[in-house]
Amino acid sequence: MGAVGLQTHIWANNTRSILLLAGFPVLLVFILYGAQLVMMGFGLLPGTGRGLGDDMALAASWLGWTVPMALVVAAVWFAIAYVGNQAIIDSITGARKVERRTEPELYNLLENLAISRGLRTPTLRMIESDSLNAFATGLHEGRYSVTVTRGLVNTLTRDEVEAVLAHELTHVINKDVRTMVIASIFAGIISVLAELVFRALVHTGGGRGRSKNSNAGPLILIGLVFAAVGVALAVVIRMMLSRTREFVADAGAVELTKNPDAMISALRKIEGRSSLKGPDEVQQMFLDNQPDGRGLEGLFATHPPIEKRIEALVKFGGGQDPGPWVGPQPAGQDTSVPAAS
Amino acid sequence: MITWIVIGVVVAIVLFIVVGGYNRLVALDQRADQSFADIDVQLKQRQDLIPNLVETVKGYATHERGTLDAVTQARAAAAGAQNINDRVQAENMLTGALGRLFAVAEAYPDLKANTNFQQLQTELSDIENKLAAARRFFNNAVSEFNAVRRQFPTVLFAGLVGFDADKPFFDVGEADRAAMTAAPPTVNFQA
Repeated sequence: MGAVGLQTHIWANNTRSILLLAGFPVLLVFILYGAQLVMMGFGLLPGTGRGLGDDMALAASWLGWTVPMALVVAAVWFAIAYVGNQAIIDSITGARKVERRTEPELYNLLENLAISRGLRTPTLRMIESDSLNAFATGLHEGRYSVTVTRGLVNTLTRDEVEAVLAHELTHVINKDVRTMVIASIFAGIISVLAELVFRALVHTGGGRGRSKNSNAGPLILIGLVFAAVGVALAVVIRMMLSRTREFVADAGAVELTKNPDAMISALRKIEGRSSLKGPDEVQQMFLDNQPDGRGLEGLFATHPPIEKRIEALVKFGGGQDPGPWVGPQPAGQDTSVPAAS
Repeated sequence: MITWIVIGVVVAIVLFIVVGGYNRLVALDQRADQSFADIDVQLKQRQDLIPNLVETVKGYATHERGTLDAVTQARAAAAGAQNINDRVQAENMLTGALGRLFAVAEAYPDLKANTNFQQLQTELSDIENKLAAARRFFNNAVSEFNAVRRQFPTVLFAGLVGFDADKPFFDVGEADRAAMTAAPPTVNFQA
């Protein structure tokens, strides 16, 4: 069922996210299988000594215990990331905690939004930077935090700042940080596995003796294809997931503020002014994060292009797009140009 | 045996679609009602400001009984409205009456200089802005509900489960719209 309004747009993207998340375990199986085939090809794992089909069936039968093992590794990894996440983010981005006393207006905006949804107000943090950006972090209640840059607060109007805070609060409400940590852990495990495969290839392929397996060639080739496709898909799925969460957060901001125009003009203002450095886990939570001109950038971007996001807000949120923002009007300059009538 | 499995699967799919569609309709219905409550908050706040406004204007603009009475009456009608349609109509009357009151106030420099009046004017225009936003959101929610209700396959069973009619929009009054198309508001800067 297609989206006809804000709520159906949110539903459609949530369904999409679940399907994408479900893709990770499938990919894990995929790449484990590839790794096993390659290792068998190099004789690191015993083959059947018969035909290619039998060897592939044997490798498939090992999945019965390798997949649960990989899932246990994923769980341990997740537990470590869960504890470490906040500390890493705090230390790297240089965000400073902001109290009600120092930024009363900003704090009240966030608090009012949180109250309207019955949430504990997240910690508010500020980065002293001129770029226009914001992000939400924290994996569980009590550790949620919303960070904005000084440039954002200085450049945007009150309504626009509220829209941005609402966007970040929607990430918190939807537990997007957790979703993305899970996605990056899966992607991490998959890339570690892939690296093992390629290491094995370089190590053993360097001419150190023949493999004992009679189907070495086809096994290695098939395994490599599995591994390569798995790694590529893992990255693409992670980025697609991130992009659907951005669409949902934009729509959620309109749900909270009832003001699609403010979200649109905020996006127009941050367009091209959002560059901020941070680790991958943080960058994918940014308000905006555009890749710096790599090929195939659409597929590997954590965020949809601003144009697409505005298009969705106009179509589903009933907003109006004022067009690209030209920057602040220089103060004191004589605006003698007659307005077009 | 196979026939029964096929029948079972078909029934399961139909149930899934009906239950899912019904839940979507309930959620959208609830959401529209909730966003009407947001309009309501603004309307209540506006009503609460009006007695104060009328008192303030009375002190200066003694010749404007008619305009003031219209505001008071519209407020009473809005506060006492029994159903949504009457309510919407009365609130639109109130919007019109308030507009005329502020237009009339232009002729009284002392009134315009009154800080209380200025404050009320700011508050009311702030409420009007929020009202416009809330109304737009409500109308969006309503049109979404209506669209989903009429979509296939929801349309097949929506009537059976109690969603047999489209929700009404929160319209600006017919009179207002006619007036606006006939004579667009003009702004005059030569004071």
